[in-house]
Amino acid sequence: MTALAVDALSGGYAAADHVVKGVSLAVAPGELLCVIGPNGAGKSTVLKLLTGLLRPRAGRVALDGRDVTGLSPRRMIEAGLVLVPQERNVFGTLTVEENLAMGCFLDPRRARARMAAVTERFPLLAERRRQAARTLSGGQRQILAMGQALMSEPRVLLLDEPTAGLSPKAADDLFALVRATAESGVAVLMVEQNALQAMQVSDRALVLVDGRNAHEGPAPALARDPEIRRLFLGGRGAGRMDASGTGRETQR
Amino acid sequence: MAEALAQALINGVIAGTILAVPALGFTAIFAVLNYPNFAIGALATVGAYAGWVGNTAFGLPMAAALPVAFLAAALAGLAVQWMAVKPLEAAGALMMAIASLAAGLVLENMLRFGFGNELRGFDLPLLRDWRFGAFRVGPQQVENFVLALACMALLWAFLRFSRTGRAMRAVADNRDLALLRGVDPVRVAAVTVAVGAGLAGMGGMLVGLDTSVDPLVGTRLVLSIFAAAVLGGLGSIPGAVAGAIAIGVAEEVAVLAFNPAYRLVVGFVAILAVLTLRPSGLFGARAG
Repeated sequence: MTALAVDALSGGYAAADHVVKGVSLAVAPGELLCVIGPNGAGKSTVLKLLTGLLRPRAGRVALDGRDVTGLSPRRMIEAGLVLVPQERNVFGTLTVEENLAMGCFLDPRRARARMAAVTERFPLLAERRRQAARTLSGGQRQILAMGQALMSEPRVLLLDEPTAGLSPKAADDLFALVRATAESGVAVLMVEQNALQAMQVSDRALVLVDGRNAHEGPAPALARDPEIRRLFLGGRGAGRMDASGTGRETQR
Repeated sequence: MAEALAQALINGVIAGTILAVPALGFTAIFAVLNYPNFAIGALATVGAYAGWVGNTAFGLPMAAALPVAFLAAALAGLAVQWMAVKPLEAAGALMMAIASLAAGLVLENMLRFGFGNELRGFDLPLLRDWRFGAFRVGPQQVENFVLALACMALLWAFLRFSRTGRAMRAVADNRDLALLRGVDPVRVAAVTVAVGAGLAGMGGMLVGLDTSVDPLVGTRLVLSIFAAAVLGGLGSIPGAVAGAIAIGVAEEVAVLAFNPAYRLVVGFVAILAVLTLRPSGLFGARAG
C-alpha cells in the first residue's frame, strides 16, 4: 500500500501556464524518494500542489488510498501530509519549544506527548527549548523545522531542499536524520538540488524535466546511469546542474 | 531646574506607560495585517466614551470600566476592518491606511453627533497629591499607571501562553509557514484587530481619566502612538513599550524646555530621526 500516490498531476501559478505538466509518483511508508531535476523543472511547484498552497488543475492525489486532491493546507495536515519549506521554515522570533507547539497547532491536546517524542528523537531541541529559533545555526534550524513537521505525526513528510545553504558536514548530518525518519515508518519525499548525495541516501529517485517525469528508478542504479550522470552530475561536478537550468527556481 | 526635570521624568514615564497601551494595539495590527491602522485614534476615543458611560451612568469603578472600553473599541475596530479596510485589501497597505484614516474620521464624527463637543469628566473623588520631598504624584495618576501596567501584563500573558496568542505571533513572524501548520489567517487577523482596537480603547480611557473626554481625545494621540511604534520598530511588542516611554518622557521634557505648543514637534522629530538614522527602529527586525 502506498502512503502517497500522485497520478498525472498538473498545475502552476497561472491558469494557462502550468509549471507541472503531468507528474506521477508513489511513496510507500518507510520509503525515501528523492525528486531531482534542473532548475525550473517544477520540483517546488509539485510540493505546493501537494500541500494545497496551489490548486491542482488536473490529476489525482491520494493518501493511503483516499482521494485528497485539491484539499486546503489545513485538511492536508489533518490527512497526514506535512511540508517543510525550503526557506524561512521556522518561526524565528518564537522559542524552539513554541516552534514545536506550532507543529501540533491543530491538535493541541497531543502537543505534550508529541513534544516528548520529538525531543527524544532530536535531543538538541530539548537543550535549546527556551532559545529563540533565530539564534540557532543553519543546521540546527533545519532540525527544528523537521521536528516541527513531525509534531503532527505525519504519514507523509515533504522536504524542499533541506540541505540548501548548509555546510557539507551539516548536510551529511541532515541526510542521516532524513534517512532515519524514513526508516521510522514515515513516507518521505525529498526535493534536492544536491542530486548525487540525495540519490546516495534515497531508496528511489525521480528525475523531473520540464514539469514531467523523465527518469525513475532505484536511487543507486539511477546514480550510476550514464545518461543521468551526463544530464545532472556532469563531468564537472554537481555545480553543473545550476548552470543547466533556464533560471532560478522561484521560491517566493 | 534639576527638580523640575526629575518631576518631568516621573510624569513622562507615567504618560509614556499609558501611551504604550494604544501603541501596542497599533503595532500588533501592523505586525499581523501589515498596514498602519490610523483609525486607532478614533478607536481610543470610542473606548474613552464607553468607559465614561460605564463610569458615570452605571457607576462602574475604573478597573471594571476598562473592559467596557476594550469591548466597545474592539467591536468598532472590527467594523472599521470589515467595512472600510478589508474591501481595499487587494489595493495594498497604503490604500488600507487611507481607508482606516477615513473610517476614523467617520467614527469621530459619529461620536461628536452622539455626545456633543463638550468636555466630559469621569466621576472621580478629588484627592490631594502625594508629596515626596519636592515631587508630587497624584493618586489618580498612580492608579492609571497601575491599570496601564495591568493591561500590558494581560497582553503579554495572552501572547505568551494562549494558543491564539501564539498563533498571532506565528503569523506576524512567518505567515506562509503559519498557513502550512494549519493556522486560519482570517481568524487570526480578526482576533488581532479586536485586541489591537481594544487596547486602543483602554488607552483612550486612561488618557480620558487623566484629562477629560471629548471627540478628539484619541485623535490627539495618533501622532504620539505612531511615533512610539516607529521608534520601537513597527511590529515589535517590546519596541512599542520602549518607544512609548521614550516619547512620553521627551514630550514632558519638551514642555519644560520650550513652549507647550512644541509638544507636538516631539513626535515628528522622533519619526524623522528614526527614518533617517535607523529605519527599522530600536527593536525592529524588519527594515523597510
